[in-house]
Amino acid sequence: MIINGIQIDDTFAEAFNMRSTRVIITALNLKWAYHAANAMTGFATSVIGCGVEAGIERELSADETPDGRPGVSILMFAMGSKVLMQQLETRMGQCILTCPTAAAFAGIQSGDQISLGKHLRYFGDGYQTSKLINGIRYWRIPVMDGEFLVQETTGMVRAIGGGNFLILATSQASALHAAETAIEAMKQVPNVIMPFPGGVVRSGSKVGSKYPSMFASTNDAFCPTLKGLVNTALSDDIESVMEIVIDGLSFEDIAMSMKVGIEAICKLGAKSGVKRISAGNYGGKLGPHHFKLHEILGAAINESPA
Amino acid sequence: MKPLTFTLKKNPSFKVDCRKLTPDKLKDLNAKQILEITLNNRIKVIDLFDINGENFERIVFKNSTSQLDYIGHQMSRGSITIEGDCGDFLGANMRGGGIVCHGNAGDRVGDQMRRGMILIDGNAGVYCGSRMLAGTIGVYGSIGNYAGFGMKRGTILLTQAQTLHATIQDCGTHTLPFLALLFQSLKPLSTKFNLLSSYRVQRYAGDLACNGNGEILVLL
Repeated sequence: MIINGIQIDDTFAEAFNMRSTRVIITALNLKWAYHAANAMTGFATSVIGCGVEAGIERELSADETPDGRPGVSILMFAMGSKVLMQQLETRMGQCILTCPTAAAFAGIQSGDQISLGKHLRYFGDGYQTSKLINGIRYWRIPVMDGEFLVQETTGMVRAIGGGNFLILATSQASALHAAETAIEAMKQVPNVIMPFPGGVVRSGSKVGSKYPSMFASTNDAFCPTLKGLVNTALSDDIESVMEIVIDGLSFEDIAMSMKVGIEAICKLGAKSGVKRISAGNYGGKLGPHHFKLHEILGAAINESPA
Repeated sequence: MKPLTFTLKKNPSFKVDCRKLTPDKLKDLNAKQILEITLNNRIKVIDLFDINGENFERIVFKNSTSQLDYIGHQMSRGSITIEGDCGDFLGANMRGGGIVCHGNAGDRVGDQMRRGMILIDGNAGVYCGSRMLAGTIGVYGSIGNYAGFGMKRGTILLTQAQTLHATIQDCGTHTLPFLALLFQSLKPLSTKFNLLSSYRVQRYAGDLACNGNGEILVLL
């Protein structure tokens, strides 16, 4: 498949089952909501080393939040419920409890209820009080700036992590520009996050390594500087590859986000330096969810003059 | 479905104990059985009230007066709306649900209540929220002495400054974020509390003779 001069590989992204929750962070103003949310979603790029993958889903205006203050919604993904619960509590305690004026509410009401402020309340040392409002329990924890307001629980749901695509370009600058363009478009899609720095990852990995202690190592087939050394997946003109990884609440959400991102890149055309779009997988044996690029872009074929 | 409505035929000359007229206690009855319920003084419901409506989870008292005591006693769910005044022990031992009184209430509103919400558009008598275990009481008008006497937890929300007894302690003025959630939840009830928009309060904690985890918030 070729769209606007850019080749779309006939391959698929391989993704995994995860557990997820959404938390709504509000604060006195957006600036402090972002301070809280950035801390909470910091060091959360990959479950391999961070425990969870987390990111800001979108900004919320004052009339969209429970307490009528501006805020942001955060999505957090983990491989299992236990890690998710543990990471959520740690991050709530270190990043939201500590952040001036911040408050936290459940962003998903359904699913299994996991602790948001249920255990955090003991920070109040006996002075914490609860309020049951419209059947939902909130905790009011006295802190030095006033009162920290937090909902008791949030909903945990089944989700999918590891949707991805690769951008292959003739230079590092054009690969990065294409990735940035895709991320800007993908940020408009609800129920997904792109957990890596700026949404983009340059160190795609393969399973295994020549060193016995390493589970994963650099994806040599896509490393442009190794073109002459390994069984490369790159043609002569490719000098840089960037990957965008997507976690989402459902298959459809991730597929939509991949479609929007790839289409945004294709709009730039081949003259932007982008030559190919591919995707990362492990042969289809590890992850139960396969995002086939051609199927996802199916609608785009008809629209495209190519 | 229309709410179950008790319309008082005329103001009785004696105090009437209405503790049997809650959503919990009426749930398995029909209209005929309700009319036959004996209140105090060997008086039956039919002697005092006209009833209509079929939604027993929502109860309305019309033409209500200060002779009706113990409205909402031990209720755990549903709602009771009082169009008029009511007597003493409104919502005593309440376990959940909501009570709205559009007139004045008597003494010991919410005595020993554990959960739920009582809103009073008018005034309340003495010992409002006495021995409260938790829950929320809002009084838009004035209030008698000894509010929150012996309260362990819970919130009493007032709009007028009151003289409080010695074991209720002033904790200063604050802007409390949870009031935004609370006020929002009150919107559908169409009470005078909908006129409020400030989250700024004088916070009193007490009763210190009973741990002091309760609070009286006076809106500024």
